[in-house]
Amino acid sequence: MPLRDIINFLKQPKIFVFAIIWMMMLVVLGTLAQKDMGLFAAQNRYFSAWITWFWYLPMPGGRLTLIIILINLSFFFFNKSIWKIKKLGIVILHLGGILLLVGGGLTAMFSSEGNMVIEEGAQSNHVEDYHLMELAVINTSALSFDEFTIFDQPLLKRSQILRHQNLNFEIEILNYLENCAPAKRTSPAGIQYKGMMKNFMLNELKPEKEDNWNRPGLIYQINNTGTNADGMYGIFLGQSVSQTVSINDKDYAIILRRQRTYLPFSIELLDFKKILHPGTDIPKSFSSEINLIENGAVRKILIQMNEPLRHKGYTFFQSSFIEGPDNETTVLAAVKNYGRLFPYISSIIMCIGLLFHLSQKLPDLFRKSREKIAS
Amino acid sequence: MPIKSILLIWVMVILQACGQDTHIRTYRIAKTKTPDTAPRVEASETKSAGFSWNKPESWIPSSGSSMRLASFDIPFSDGIGDLSVIQLGGSGGGIEANVNRWRRQLNLEPQTLSEIEKEMMEKRGGLGIYNIIQILNEELDSAFLCAILSAGNQTLFVKLSAKPHGIREIEADFILFCSSLKISI
Repeated sequence: MPLRDIINFLKQPKIFVFAIIWMMMLVVLGTLAQKDMGLFAAQNRYFSAWITWFWYLPMPGGRLTLIIILINLSFFFFNKSIWKIKKLGIVILHLGGILLLVGGGLTAMFSSEGNMVIEEGAQSNHVEDYHLMELAVINTSALSFDEFTIFDQPLLKRSQILRHQNLNFEIEILNYLENCAPAKRTSPAGIQYKGMMKNFMLNELKPEKEDNWNRPGLIYQINNTGTNADGMYGIFLGQSVSQTVSINDKDYAIILRRQRTYLPFSIELLDFKKILHPGTDIPKSFSSEINLIENGAVRKILIQMNEPLRHKGYTFFQSSFIEGPDNETTVLAAVKNYGRLFPYISSIIMCIGLLFHLSQKLPDLFRKSREKIAS
Repeated sequence: MPIKSILLIWVMVILQACGQDTHIRTYRIAKTKTPDTAPRVEASETKSAGFSWNKPESWIPSSGSSMRLASFDIPFSDGIGDLSVIQLGGSGGGIEANVNRWRRQLNLEPQTLSEIEKEMMEKRGGLGIYNIIQILNEELDSAFLCAILSAGNQTLFVKLSAKPHGIREIEADFILFCSSLKISI
């Protein structure tokens, strides 16, 4: 097919019309589905997916639909007829739309969100993801440091073999459970079971509506160590004691935890304050007085509701707190969004485009109106 | 030609991105007093018989005897610990009698009150200041970690029974649990 035909096909306005109608339907379906399947699952199925399955019928997901719209809007500029001063408003409007979609793409691909939990007097330099897990294998043999080898969630799937030059063994994933409950064994375990699995088993549960209510678990096998560490192990999120193994004079701790992102700075919680509604236990507002520590420099900052800290692309919102017997613990929601400014900029551009277009059309409208009155 | 080149580079970038190595990260962290090996405990509050507490999610409620206010099976790296909470009126027999009863259960000789007090650790929690004692018998490969907490005209006895290394692994959570105990209105 000649290039011109491709361009002519891709720039058709009806592609935009059908795609935007389909997108509106996806928004309605996703919003309705959210009630039953939860926000995260509905977002993944309808908006973040390339393909959305309706029973056995594959349909374009939100991501694919928006890419089609982006391509269609981009090919609009191949229309020779638009390059006139009186069409400038329309051109600006399309540019604003493209910028909005590019910003959405950047957010979808590169943004991350999680939380940072800090106890009064303590400091933290990492954010824990709300949804993604990681398997951390920590070599604790050295006296002065721990060596972490982290396997991200995409690798935690059945039959996957995890190996790395830092490890003198390999881990075979036997099963990844989206939601599970540990249960005490009622009969003796076979000799292949090691560690916690000698006394417990992991029962798979139906995933909860909200993703962060789930307790993921992992059943894995350690192979080829040539020691009695070979065997089947189990681990779950929130296990308060990590699984430890000794293999060829090296000690390892194995943890399933929420994916951590380490930051180039630390936050120390100096004081957490909460104000209650009079006569109730319901918090009216809460705030965290923190030290932002970066390259040895310390800056005192107050984070409170609707007044987040913005630093190095991250935004820290006061999200929640945990009350302890001695100290309080703050929970900060941490969001990194490269496309944060795009909606603002693109909205301004689209407004300018619309105003420009309107200002060009207004004289015609007034003239037609006058002619109508005169006749 | 340039379009073909760009497409080829793009496919190579995507194939490279699909590799396993992009999902493996390594780093080193200096050891601290509180090692980074333990996952964060997500606590949930429970109430029973006028008391409430926070326990780690991984502690599994178990069916203990009728005397127990609460009972948990606690996983550690190579086994399972048993934790019980018992509520007795008054001082519940006192520190000396109870500690020596636990020592006898581990085939250990009784101690005097002053010897016991030397081994006790003082902690502060929702019920005020309380005491913790660790009783070990390495020969039997058994150990207890016990807390005695005064709560008005009653005393709570929290006892964790596990292997000695299990006691060491669970100790931090045990203290958090005991410190979280408070009178529930």
